[in-house]
Amino acid sequence: MRRALAARVGALVLAAVVGGPWLASPASAQRIDWPSEQPPPPLLRRHVDFPDYEIRSLDNGLRVVYVGHHEQPAVNVRMILRAGAAADPPGQPGVASLVGQLLDQGTTTRTAQEIAGGIDSIGGALSVGTARDLGFVDVLVMKDSFDFALDLLADVARRPAFAPDEIERQRNQVLSGLQVSYDDPAYVANVVFNRLVYGFHPYGMPQGGTPRSVRTITRGDLVAFHRTHYLPNNAVLAVVGDVTAEEAFTGVERALGDWRRGPLAPAATADNIPSPTRRLVVVNQPGAVQTVIHAGHVALPRAHPDYLAFDVAIKILGGEGGNRLGSVLRTERSLTYAASADIAGRQIAGDFMAKTDTRSPATAEALRLTVDEIARLRRERVRERELRSAQDYLAGSFPITIETPNAIAAQVLEAILYGLDLDGLEDYPERVNAVTVRDIERVAETWLQPANLSMVLVGDASVFLRDLPGVGFDRIEVVPLADLDLAAADFRRASRFRR
Amino acid sequence: MALVALALGAAAAVAAPVGAAVRPTKFDYHITTLDNGLTVILSEDHSTPIVNLQMWYHVGSKDEPAGRTGFAHLFEHLMFKGSHNVRSDEHLSMISSVGGTGNAYTTEDVTVFFETVPAQYLPLVLWLEADRMATLRISQRTLDSEREVVKEERRWRYENQPFGLLSEILYDEAFTTHPYKHQTIGSMEDIEAASIEDVQEFFDTYYVPENATLTLVGDFETDYALQMVEHYFGRVPKAKKPVPRNLPREPPVTRSRRLTVEADNWPLPAVVVAHPITYDGHPDAYPLHILSKILSDGQSARIHRGLVYEQQVAVSAFGQGVIIEDPNLFYAVALVQPGRTPEAVAAALIAELDRAKAEPPGDGELQRAKNQFARDYVIGRISIEQKGMHLAHAQVIHDDITTADAEFDIFMNVSREDVQRVARTYLRDDNRLVLTILPRGSRRAGQ
Repeated sequence: MRRALAARVGALVLAAVVGGPWLASPASAQRIDWPSEQPPPPLLRRHVDFPDYEIRSLDNGLRVVYVGHHEQPAVNVRMILRAGAAADPPGQPGVASLVGQLLDQGTTTRTAQEIAGGIDSIGGALSVGTARDLGFVDVLVMKDSFDFALDLLADVARRPAFAPDEIERQRNQVLSGLQVSYDDPAYVANVVFNRLVYGFHPYGMPQGGTPRSVRTITRGDLVAFHRTHYLPNNAVLAVVGDVTAEEAFTGVERALGDWRRGPLAPAATADNIPSPTRRLVVVNQPGAVQTVIHAGHVALPRAHPDYLAFDVAIKILGGEGGNRLGSVLRTERSLTYAASADIAGRQIAGDFMAKTDTRSPATAEALRLTVDEIARLRRERVRERELRSAQDYLAGSFPITIETPNAIAAQVLEAILYGLDLDGLEDYPERVNAVTVRDIERVAETWLQPANLSMVLVGDASVFLRDLPGVGFDRIEVVPLADLDLAAADFRRASRFRR
Repeated sequence: MALVALALGAAAAVAAPVGAAVRPTKFDYHITTLDNGLTVILSEDHSTPIVNLQMWYHVGSKDEPAGRTGFAHLFEHLMFKGSHNVRSDEHLSMISSVGGTGNAYTTEDVTVFFETVPAQYLPLVLWLEADRMATLRISQRTLDSEREVVKEERRWRYENQPFGLLSEILYDEAFTTHPYKHQTIGSMEDIEAASIEDVQEFFDTYYVPENATLTLVGDFETDYALQMVEHYFGRVPKAKKPVPRNLPREPPVTRSRRLTVEADNWPLPAVVVAHPITYDGHPDAYPLHILSKILSDGQSARIHRGLVYEQQVAVSAFGQGVIIEDPNLFYAVALVQPGRTPEAVAAALIAELDRAKAEPPGDGELQRAKNQFARDYVIGRISIEQKGMHLAHAQVIHDDITTADAEFDIFMNVSREDVQRVARTYLRDDNRLVLTILPRGSRRAGQ
């Protein structure tokens, strides 16, 4: 909400490679003497390595990453746990998320208000939450409060109270939040897309749950989830900033060394993720001025050997340094403010998704162009120059990706979470540059199925529905937004039940 | 995030615990002005071999001519559509092909273009920025096509978002005269009306060296970088006319108002309480910042704690002082918890503001707010882009680059009495606007 109020209005989300027509008339009437020239050559390049970091493990299995940074007197302590929405009990989406939200709402030794007052009064920041594959606790403090940060993190991660009145307070917040989300077309498009791609696998259900599931979660569910997943041997912790390595490791040992390890729950499997199946779902939101368009399907998990080449391929389709979608939909056709594609590489599966938003009457054309570009990526070999451009961006941006200590730590944590080779952080530019046109062709053939796309349109169906058959789309499932039920196979709630 | 903070507030500068051990590192910079009037700020940072360039043009949506709301932002888009040596849309593809990132944004007060690239490409970004400052080329066809993109942006960012039109509704009610009355994105009608003559006039008037500040932060040697800046920008001609600065002033508000409106894409009733406040750089701006923190930074701050946690009348609630170049607003917003009434929520919000007038904050509360400022100050100066933003903001908005560091002490010295005084000065009963915004059709439905 706060972001929506910001006065700033950005220009461009993604660059487009293909330029428009050469423009002849100068905006300035005053003729000035200006040389015609090529861009200047670069200066000498300074070699850059992935910055130093250190990893140690405690006896209880907690892995600890240290990244030093001493320019400003701040320190960040962040813990991630394999306790994301992917671990939700079957049929109970929202449990992991509610656990995450309740971590800072009271522990067995501090009330919610004591936690908030404590962190605010020292000028720190505490954030807790859940993503698809992980739960997290993040504490930022000035360096003189480092011990306070460790103690607070240990307390909220290990000893949340799950007090009944706090559960009800958070449950009401979640339900009100969902009420707002169901009016947000971007949210609706995302949750419907995930359900289409992953079916009833936990990856297919909304992370925050559905109104119906959130109403039925009990304190027992929360306590059981926490006991099972919030364990030191299921966590990685990073200390980032203005402390020494010894201070970091000694402090973590003091605060978390006596945390008892426990048996790990078996990881979820990809077994019930459906194979890509063509479906086109229109969520009808009468009166909407724009349509949100998502198209994609299941692809590969983060740790798959094809991940890097497929990432480059999707960058050509819709990312920095490439972006055919942006060129066609924005630069050539002015149909959108932004068009892009990205991959989600998760623990046990992943997907790719192209997305854009367009004015309601242009929906059919924008969907057609989006799907055509996905098909072209598989049908035609990419040009050497296009690949080069995507590689130049990805390899060239390496020094920018390691600028801040938190960005460095995030890369290390991600590698550990997904079981990636840590040496891969250092040689990322070389690995990107080794990708060939033939590699792109191979991964596109292996992982793209343009005939089996999951497609979601959220917008005013009365404006564009009749245009869809004319550009080759039939077998359309239309769901009124008011009837949307993510737990139903056809997305429609039975009329007498609340969603 | 930091961008937003800057756009919303005065220098994100700030206070630490008085006498505390932690103190943010000061900037080391060099500032100069070229013969054509371009202000140049350079600050070396060799920690990573990258460089950030920011070009701040001191023109924003408040400078738009009548009937041309949204024009400053539309113009920002046009700056990517080609110049003498750079083809349309080639600017960003050149940046990304060297591994860099670039973008731009427009606020009420400024238009900012920025790039971060590996350090060896400093000449490229200087060349690109100078080329478009001197020789932007725009055709009718480009204008027409980019206009459609901007209209899509308006739909996407505001019209098709839940609560997306809050600012538009609020500012249209709160202002009568000053151009802060309209939003930076502008109206569809005005975006539609922009002509190629407008483009030329705007470019000749505002996109001139004396209205621009170039900031470089990163891995370079100042002397050598300055030579390059001279080389590429020294040849940009001086402006032929002075930059106009004659905005209408908003008359003082002398009576309180309450009104209720309905809006599209509005899932839950909302209550906004707004008061006019002062400008960025005014002595009262600093205690107003502190007051905003006391009311609304963190879960233990008064508004969240009172309305969301304790009374549970609001789903979410916050308040902020919008402290920018000209006098703007302090406002607080609360989304009404289903089952509660907007009247109850308005009363609860006003009670929090009244409390700030009735008594000064406690010592602990004041210290907490200063500590939070110190935190924002420190973590808002880690990346070179953040550093460039603070330096440029100090120079462009305050016309005094030393404020990039000096405001820290001003904040440290804000007293409890200062906070109470500004609450009494600005959050008055006779200048309050209470705006209730309901989902479209809810009054007809008899709620």
